[in-house]
Amino acid sequence: MSTTNLIVAGVGGQGVILATEVLGNAAIKENFDVVISEIHGMAQRGGAVVSHVRIGHKVHSPTVVEGLADAILGFEPVEVLRYLHYASDRTRIVTGERCVIPPSVYMGVVEYPSIEQIVETYRRFTRHITLIDAFKLAEEAGCAMTQNIVLVGALAATRMLPLKDGTLKTCIQERVPRKYLEANLKAFDLGYAEASR
Amino acid sequence: MHSRNSVSGLSKLDILLRGRTGESHLLLGNDAVARGALEGGVSVATTYPGTPSSEIADTIALMARDAGIYMEYSTNEMVALEVAAGASISGARAICSMKMVGLNVASDALMTLAYTGVRGGLVVISADDPDCFSSQNEQDNRYYSLLANVPCLEPSNPQEAKDMLLSALRLSEEFELPVMLRLVTRVSHTRKPVVFGPIEARSRNMKFSRDVKRFVMVPSNARSRHLVLLEKMDRVKKVAEESSLNAVLGEGALGIVTSGVSFNYCMEALNLLDLRASVLKLGFANPLPAGVITAFLKAHDPVIVVEELEPFLELHIRSIAQGADVHRRILGKLSDPSYLPRNGELSTKLVLTAICKVLGRPSPVDFQDIENRFRMAEALSPPRPPVLCSGCPHMASFHAIKVATGGKAVCATDIGCYALGAQPPLSVGDVMLCMGASASVSSGISKVVEEPVVGVVGDSTFFHASIPGLINAVYNKHKFVYIVLDNCTTAMTNFQPHPGTGVTGLGESSKQILIEDIAKGCGVDFVKVTDPYDLKYTISTIKEAVEYKGPAVVISRHKCAILESQERTAKGEETVPFEIDEEKCTECMACIKLLGCPALVVIQGNVSIDSILCAGCGVCAQVCPYTAIRKS
Repeated sequence: MSTTNLIVAGVGGQGVILATEVLGNAAIKENFDVVISEIHGMAQRGGAVVSHVRIGHKVHSPTVVEGLADAILGFEPVEVLRYLHYASDRTRIVTGERCVIPPSVYMGVVEYPSIEQIVETYRRFTRHITLIDAFKLAEEAGCAMTQNIVLVGALAATRMLPLKDGTLKTCIQERVPRKYLEANLKAFDLGYAEASR
Repeated sequence: MHSRNSVSGLSKLDILLRGRTGESHLLLGNDAVARGALEGGVSVATTYPGTPSSEIADTIALMARDAGIYMEYSTNEMVALEVAAGASISGARAICSMKMVGLNVASDALMTLAYTGVRGGLVVISADDPDCFSSQNEQDNRYYSLLANVPCLEPSNPQEAKDMLLSALRLSEEFELPVMLRLVTRVSHTRKPVVFGPIEARSRNMKFSRDVKRFVMVPSNARSRHLVLLEKMDRVKKVAEESSLNAVLGEGALGIVTSGVSFNYCMEALNLLDLRASVLKLGFANPLPAGVITAFLKAHDPVIVVEELEPFLELHIRSIAQGADVHRRILGKLSDPSYLPRNGELSTKLVLTAICKVLGRPSPVDFQDIENRFRMAEALSPPRPPVLCSGCPHMASFHAIKVATGGKAVCATDIGCYALGAQPPLSVGDVMLCMGASASVSSGISKVVEEPVVGVVGDSTFFHASIPGLINAVYNKHKFVYIVLDNCTTAMTNFQPHPGTGVTGLGESSKQILIEDIAKGCGVDFVKVTDPYDLKYTISTIKEAVEYKGPAVVISRHKCAILESQERTAKGEETVPFEIDEEKCTECMACIKLLGCPALVVIQGNVSIDSILCAGCGVCAQVCPYTAIRKS
């Protein structure tokens, strides 16, 4: 099997790191080698957060090669735009469609593009695009903070991962606070169903 | 979903403390180092927090009580290394972790500690930050091992980070030398499966035995200890020659010499190119195994040196080749700066491109085409830099500084969250150098310019390195306003305690040291404390300080908004957000343009307050010219 390369991109506070830990733990459970590289430190301060996840038999580099991502999992549409150079025409984009506007936009310093413009730009790289309202589904699951798990569910539905759905669910179970377990499992299912439609 | 503590499965703490030999767990590089400290029987762990090193000590702090390890957040890296040195010469195994610029501060201690040597194993962990993800420079600390003449090991991933800490502890004890372990962001902040080893029993032979000739570095003793150091490092060279930490992988005419994180990019590039080559991976950055390198050079041509930042290996490999009279094409940053950059991180792409260039082969990935197509996406993406959090008290302090000085002040800022105040709309901060520099830099500026001069510093940074600068300002009669932005924590690096918090790294209560007492003790006569959430008083206090004849200290104190919100949640209290009175709001945008608080948003042309993000500080209500913001 060749290596599966993922980019997970979002905004500080959206739960990117927890999502990648779930993917990483699931990979270990299925006896894969895995490497996750994340840039934090400034994450708490509303900055862009990106994590590289690579799953295979033997993985060395902590980062994905430009043009060789199998999937980009976005928590925010512009954050996917920022990492499109990792995409090729075979890359699957799965992203939450809710925009998080940076304060500089309100100050009139920069503009936030329309969702149509954003998706049009995705299309210059790939036609495999899944947009979902992860925020709405997370609220439906019972907790707005579960949108990261909605998106993990949606990614699982696209069959881009060499991981079984059951393993992912076990890892979610092991990683989230007990109090929110039910909401998280429901979030996974809602994301899964939405991306399977 | 976010979680720190109560998770359904095993917590990180459980895994690290109770994970058994042979088990494999997904660990962050820094957490793997913390497990290494446990496996290696470390008794004392010291640090001053700094990205990307912080989690090493933070995780040890979590484990300390159960593991019986003493850990402390020292006031700065030099203090941290000196505490570790004291413990080590008394027989305990010790580690001292810091970010790379921390070693600049600790270097004074390190240079002479190499002479005295140690007793219990002592490892200095330097986490470098190529590409400045969270740093003010991207210095390559392998050079410190050369300057101090101490061994330095360089792991390439979390497993090696743990294992090499153990090797470093043993090496340190065997040669009675401090040993450096050099990490980088992509090792410290990478998660990989890590196989656990057994936990060694801690040394029982902990006592101080007097040896004046060895430990009292007056000139006569230092001269002889320098010779001892040179002799020790000669012996370490033999260990490096035979060490399995230096290994040759694969076969082929092409040779690649690499170390640390760069090794990973080499392996990926060779896979992508489906290329046979021989890779010499060096675990020892200092001393380099000259014999191993000579044999490798003799067996390969050309030899490409792949390393991040400085051409450290390349320089030495060239010298080794000359010494051994080996004539080979050695290709690297010195031979052709276009092969690999001397700045930033390496990547598989960069290494792949360099190998293709050397071999005259086309790249299997058309990076140029990707770059061309990406340009449009990039142009369309609004930047999302980190910003001060909603309700951040620094935001209010910066606004007050601007109003009080009419925006005319020259401002030296310092290292911490508040460096973000230099960006619009606050734009307070004209120079930032290194920890604690703002007091002294302000002093220098004040000798030259006519405008009011303001220095700002955070609370943890104040304790770290600003005090000599403040004493100097009083003694040499500098006139400026020194504003301590005291948010009662080390917020930038994940809320570690410091001497002003009255809590230690082990969670014990301690004497709370007040910044106002220190300022007075330094001889400052004008010392005032204000709460930045009270804008009016803060502005008038700063105005008064500007008029004062000597150095004036204003402590702008309010607990970090994130901590305050966590405390409210823990107590079951609700945060009461503010809201816009739409009848009064004229959409003048003053709140947004003056503060830039992330909770202030514009929806279809109307200012609104995000009720989830709002910290309820009420500062925006104080800047609104139309009193259109009120508590909801």
